[in-house]
Amino acid sequence: MRTVKRYFPLFVMPTLIAFLIAFVIPFLMGIYLSFTSFRTVADAEFVGFSNYIRAFSEDNLFLNSLFFTVKFAVVSVISINVLAFILALMLTKTIPGTNLFRTVFFMPNLIGGIVLGYIWQLIINGFLYRYGYSITSNPNFGFWGLVILMNWQMIGYMMIIYIAGIQNISTDILEAAKVDGAGAFTTLTRITIPSVMPSITICLFLTITNSFKLFDQNLALTAGAPSKQTQMVALDIYNTFYSRSGYEGVGQAKAVVFFIVVAIIALLQLKITRGKEVES
Amino acid sequence: MGKQKLKNLLGFLILLFFAVLFIMPVAVVLMNSFKSRFSISQYPFVLPDANTFVMLENYTEGIKNTGFFSAFGWSLFITVFSVAAIVVFTSMTAWYIVRVKGIFNSILYYALVFSMIVPFQMVMFTMSKTANALSLDNPLGIVFIYLGFGAGLSVFMFTGFIKSVPVQIEEAATIDGCNAVQTFWQIVFPILKPTAITVAILNTMWIWNDYLLPYLVIGRDYKTIPVAIQYLKGGYGSVDMGAMMAMLVLAIIPVVIFYLTCQKYIIKGVAAGAVKG
Amino acid sequence: MKKRIISFLIAVVCCISCLSLAGCGKKKSQVYFLNFKPEAASVYEEIAKTYEEETGVKVKVVTAAANTYEQTLKSEIAKSDAPTIFQVNGPIGYDEWSDYCLDIKDSKLYSFLSDDSLAIKEDGGVYAVPYVVEGYGIIYNNAIMDKYFALKNKKTDIDSVDEIDSFEELKAVVEDMSANLEALGIDGVFASTSLASGEDWRWQTHLLNIPLYHEFRENEEYDDPTLAGLNTKDIKFKYSDNFKKVFDLYTENSITGKTLLGSKSTADSMAEFALGQVAMVQNGNWAWSQIAEVEGNTVDEDDIKFMPIYTGVEGEKNQGLCIGTENYIAINKNATEEQQKASLAFLEWLFSSDKGKDYVTNRLDFITPFKTFSEDELPDDPLAREVVRYMNDDSYETVPWIFTSFPSEEFKSSVGSGMLDYVQGGKKWDELAKIVKDKWKSER
Repeated sequence: MRTVKRYFPLFVMPTLIAFLIAFVIPFLMGIYLSFTSFRTVADAEFVGFSNYIRAFSEDNLFLNSLFFTVKFAVVSVISINVLAFILALMLTKTIPGTNLFRTVFFMPNLIGGIVLGYIWQLIINGFLYRYGYSITSNPNFGFWGLVILMNWQMIGYMMIIYIAGIQNISTDILEAAKVDGAGAFTTLTRITIPSVMPSITICLFLTITNSFKLFDQNLALTAGAPSKQTQMVALDIYNTFYSRSGYEGVGQAKAVVFFIVVAIIALLQLKITRGKEVES
Repeated sequence: MGKQKLKNLLGFLILLFFAVLFIMPVAVVLMNSFKSRFSISQYPFVLPDANTFVMLENYTEGIKNTGFFSAFGWSLFITVFSVAAIVVFTSMTAWYIVRVKGIFNSILYYALVFSMIVPFQMVMFTMSKTANALSLDNPLGIVFIYLGFGAGLSVFMFTGFIKSVPVQIEEAATIDGCNAVQTFWQIVFPILKPTAITVAILNTMWIWNDYLLPYLVIGRDYKTIPVAIQYLKGGYGSVDMGAMMAMLVLAIIPVVIFYLTCQKYIIKGVAAGAVKG
Repeated sequence: MKKRIISFLIAVVCCISCLSLAGCGKKKSQVYFLNFKPEAASVYEEIAKTYEEETGVKVKVVTAAANTYEQTLKSEIAKSDAPTIFQVNGPIGYDEWSDYCLDIKDSKLYSFLSDDSLAIKEDGGVYAVPYVVEGYGIIYNNAIMDKYFALKNKKTDIDSVDEIDSFEELKAVVEDMSANLEALGIDGVFASTSLASGEDWRWQTHLLNIPLYHEFRENEEYDDPTLAGLNTKDIKFKYSDNFKKVFDLYTENSITGKTLLGSKSTADSMAEFALGQVAMVQNGNWAWSQIAEVEGNTVDEDDIKFMPIYTGVEGEKNQGLCIGTENYIAINKNATEEQQKASLAFLEWLFSSDKGKDYVTNRLDFITPFKTFSEDELPDDPLAREVVRYMNDDSYETVPWIFTSFPSEEFKSSVGSGMLDYVQGGKKWDELAKIVKDKWKSER
């Protein structure tokens, strides 16, 4: 394969250049700018860690949004995965119409975040109006609205992955279990769940990262109202950056912190669940 | 046996209940898109009646206000070309990385994988700035940006698959006098087809619905569908709920058509993508 | 077949990358106007078309979505094809963008001003010029008011709107009207106090202008309350109670329950007014187009009037409307000289040629501060007529727009969300007042 090496310009160059321009350079520049005070990049002045200090000390917006995001991620990751797993179990049984159901459940996943946000705003407001409220009346409404929206969007996706995992379990093992007299619950906890561990790993990874990075849905559904109490981290960074002048560096610093948090959580989760896969 | 049947029926009913829950929101939006703008937000669950039914007025109004057809055109253009570029270039890169060992290639590979977990906010400003400085802030340039941004996941998935392709086949081709380009396109790529479809589908789902990247890079001059819809909310001084509903419906229609025609591939692709990951 | 598809794909992709990398020779616009007023977007586009037909100069108009002007300007101005004409919202906005504002003291546009002191100046240079004067107050539907005054069981002894000249009288009338909604055929006295995000500027900016105006007026160091505001680091918020009184009056006599206000937009309230569901709404003369375009509009043009916003401050008997401007136009200093000239030429055409002026008065409905407009070249809509009437009547003391001295957008939006919290019961008034004071200090 030595001859292949000569083809570097053709095979790697286009991707490499695009990757450099769209990601590597902006990423490094972003880290650099987080230590500066700037408006248009050209006028960046080094200010050390002051942006990071300001991100946490000037107001509670960043911490509140981080906390809100974590709360949201925990609730939606659990609910999405539990519901998706249950649906997957049901759809791998001999129930009529499974194909049709699968089609329906997966569909919301293809609709974009902005569109989803407005769809659910209509539904939730319509429902709350009857009781004299709207989604911005109380931050809890916004929170649960986002959770419902996220569930609606992601359940189908995760369900498909779980179905693939469950279908991979060899029927021999299941039949052996039946012969041994294992009940439905024992089969589930002893055989099914351990066998779909790889699916669980990937589903957790996808739901966690997507929950943390949520932006479009947040923007369209509540835009942070009331009083920025339903503002998630991504939206907070965006608003710090573009809606306030003199805060560009702070916004960039928040983004770096956000990146580190997401990276740590994602890697930790992969490590933990991957470990479980090996044990089983 | 009777017990099994009962169980199935029960399961069917539960699933049916969920299915209705899943379809309901879209159905409500569809219904409201035919109602007059002032009777929507307060009473979204009421069917249109003689007073509130407005035929297609919301659609004509919404299409006029958002420039829907041009938004549709740009969305389509950007998605098709970006996905094509991603599939072609990242598959080639992945193959090269797997076949040619070297420290540079490993670094590149890990950098690509790393890019997958970085939140977009980290680079939103610097990336749009770079894109502008290099004159990439046009519908063609954004294709290039998407190639760079989508490279992480796509290269990752292709390499995962290529590792399982035996190298002997390619060696045979080389002996037959094929150069690397011929070998890749005639021998390797056809084997990669299932993965290519998966990559194409995952990227289509992402790019078609992406909001912030096109908004920041080309949003003022070329609006894609999500950007046009968000603009309907903030622009023009008032929110026309009727037009909003109509636009939501129009935004969903292409997705549903795409889904129903390629359903088999999409579901397979998503499952396959996950297993590889 | 497969091969053909693949080679086609490669060909396409290669073309794209070549084209996009080459940049396809980016065109710079001659004149690029970043418009602030979403409601005027379509008119500006027509104007641009007409101008191009007349002079061959292409004018690119981009309109920022409501409440996103600052962020749009921020990202646009950094681009290679940057706006050549943009807007700043007063001295604070100028501070922010002073690096980009061209000195236009020698331009014709500046010479058009009927009162040069209106322009934004610094060290002898002129950097931004206002182009529209606007007024706001409480818009009322006279037909409904007359109905009320004719009521047999009315409890007040006021017989016409002209007799209302204090907060107490306004309150008495409003509350009595609330008690007689059915007889008046309305669903509430005031239209929704819209507090959805981005829709709260009528309160956090316009209404707050009044108590702070009274506070700054008392600052004897400065003749001009706006200047006083700009130089105030710490506000006392002395008239907080007056602010509360009006705001409570609005929300307690509203067509919409307090908990729903967070989802209401300005357009909703203007529609309620236009459909005759309410008698009053606080807004400015720019709202005419929103009233006029509502389908099923039941309000007669001649019944749409303005009254001042009374807050119970001493000596408010002669208070008039709040009249001023936050729309200052500036030319981008970093544009090429050719672009700057073309941009000024466009603006001068717009504000002095017959065609341009026709658009300004009759389509944009602007009352301009330019002497190129004669007395009969005023917009002919009921609200603009009312603003002009108040302006020309010396018995009224106009309240200037001192909110151009508010420290930042962040200040306003924090106050707005605090107001929403207050209405929904999440915050006490004291807490809101504290936000106003603290945010002023921290954002100044």
